[in-house]
Amino acid sequence: MALLELTDITKTFGAGDQRVEALRGVSMAVEAGEMVALVGPSGSGKSTLLAIIGALLTPTAGSMLIGGRDVATFDAGARTRYRRDQVGFVFQASNLVPFLTARENLLLVGEFGGADKGALRRRADELLKELGLTEAAGQAANRLSGGQRQRVAIARALMRDPLLILVDEPTASLDTTRGAQVVEALREEIHGRHKACVMVTHDLEMAARADRVLEIRDGLLRAHGAPVV
Amino acid sequence: MLAIREMARRRLQFGLVTGVVTLIAYLVLMVTGLGLGLNQAAGTALLALDGDYLAYSDRSNLSVIRSQLSEAQATDIATAPGVAASAPIGYVAAAIEFRPGEVDTGALLGIDLGAIAEPAVVEGRALTETDTRGLLVDRTWVSLTGTGIGDTLQVPVGLAFEPFEIVGVVDEGSFFFQPAMFMLRDTWRQISYRAVDQATPFASVVLLQGESLEGATGAGWEIVTKDTAFWNIEGVSAQQGTVDALRYMGLLIGAMVIGVFFYVITLQKVSLLGVLKAIGASGTYLTTQGLLQVFLVSLTGTALAAGLAVLTKATVLSSDAIPIAFTTGAILSSSVAVVVAGVVGALLSMRQISSIDPIIAMQQQQ
Ligand SMILES: Nc1ncnc2c1ncn2[C@@H]1O[C@H](COP(=O)(O)OP(=O)(O)O)[C@@H](O)[C@H]1O
Ligand SMILES: [Mg+2]
Repeated sequence: MALLELTDITKTFGAGDQRVEALRGVSMAVEAGEMVALVGPSGSGKSTLLAIIGALLTPTAGSMLIGGRDVATFDAGARTRYRRDQVGFVFQASNLVPFLTARENLLLVGEFGGADKGALRRRADELLKELGLTEAAGQAANRLSGGQRQRVAIARALMRDPLLILVDEPTASLDTTRGAQVVEALREEIHGRHKACVMVTHDLEMAARADRVLEIRDGLLRAHGAPVV
Repeated sequence: MLAIREMARRRLQFGLVTGVVTLIAYLVLMVTGLGLGLNQAAGTALLALDGDYLAYSDRSNLSVIRSQLSEAQATDIATAPGVAASAPIGYVAAAIEFRPGEVDTGALLGIDLGAIAEPAVVEGRALTETDTRGLLVDRTWVSLTGTGIGDTLQVPVGLAFEPFEIVGVVDEGSFFFQPAMFMLRDTWRQISYRAVDQATPFASVVLLQGESLEGATGAGWEIVTKDTAFWNIEGVSAQQGTVDALRYMGLLIGAMVIGVFFYVITLQKVSLLGVLKAIGASGTYLTTQGLLQVFLVSLTGTALAAGLAVLTKATVLSSDAIPIAFTTGAILSSSVAVVVAGVVGALLSMRQISSIDPIIAMQQQQ
């Protein structure tokens, strides 16, 4: 069984005239160690799908299994713990605590409970090293460059050794070269640590670095490059 | 760690709000101290009396000034059921010339030797039967005026001033904002009523020891607790009301300042808090961090204010002329009140924090 399995996920926002069908029956599976890029035009449902996988939104219908567990049955507390323990998020921008240093941003996730702080300290140093952040470790996040910030965000996402890394437009605030470096670093971590990863991007060059590219259009998924039916 | 680190890295903001809280807490403490001081000036001598009840004439409206009791009434009161011990006390305010041309008002209290109203002497000696022109004077007033044992005070008896000698110093405080001065009750009768005969009032009030005497009444007299007597001293309730109103105002302002400050810094952090929730911080964790900050700001502000208040009392207000008094209990209760006000003020922000939807982490566009 795949690590992540979505079956016929739909998501509808609003009602009546305001009704928007953001997802209209999405099924997909992602294996551990696999990096999947999700592309599609603006408004096609990419962020909605990522939010559902990350338990930030609940689907209107459909099922979602992660490691065999049905996330739809989770209550609020379980969803928080799921996001804390099973998922690592990397958002578009400004997602670090600005007044904490790079290293403190990593250790912060240890404060949310249920973690061995000693192990987290070792892991933080390891990740800082792997992501080329040793020098920047003691700098406040708001003093870091855009590329450094996104690498710190990737490190933070890996801190609690999650099953799944969810990435939303990680290079939106970066130029092409820096963006490519960040995605490359992410890819190495995903493969090296055998994580599953879903990365939303509108940048096809970045998407090409993933193992597989899925395209979403008007709330429906299809393999990238397949003709519009 | 998050709460403390934020405070350490945003010293200016948190320093400023702590400063404002310090000033507000200082105001609350000083007002409380003033209330205590005024109450002490109004009636420490009454509270210090060695008894639990006071009998007044029943048409005096519990005013020591207006209360007048006859000898028959005093006897009646002394033998009322439940009375263990009693002592008639006379009160009159008089102008006291303590140096040529220098006059102050004293609370002259006429007492009986050996009775429960006789105060303990802390310096000099007690009054004797022959001290018809002898006085026991309050310690604070003695040091304030630079008088002492053996000094002569001019006290009006009728139209003339007569020399009275300070034979002892007592530590009974003041009465009606005047220093307490004790004399023989016969002397008090002379000063108050000039001619002393059957028709002259015997005492103003009667101090009582005994069991559950409250509310007892007789021919023209009534008994109340010393506490009731204190709150009925002219002006005490009104001044306490004013002081309380000022305190509540201070606490309200404190709650609002802390409330607005934390509301604003929470608003500034909404997107960050959304991200933290998205990556697994619980609402409880984040509100705990917020409350910790509120607590530290109000506690630090209050501690600084308490230090400042004590320092003010020890320096600027060291003379006893300004009636500000602090007790550990008053400082503690005011401090707790300020901290509680701060936490209450910040509750709105805590609600705001717990209602943030982590989905906003994905909705921020660069
Ligand atoms: N909270 C919401 N309420 C109403 N409509 C929404 C909401 N979130 C997204 N949508 C709509 O759902 C569709 C998909 O949005 P989104 O997933 O953000 O697309 P993408 O990330 O691909 O740009 C859009 O039409 C958007 O307007
Ligand atoms: Mg989007």
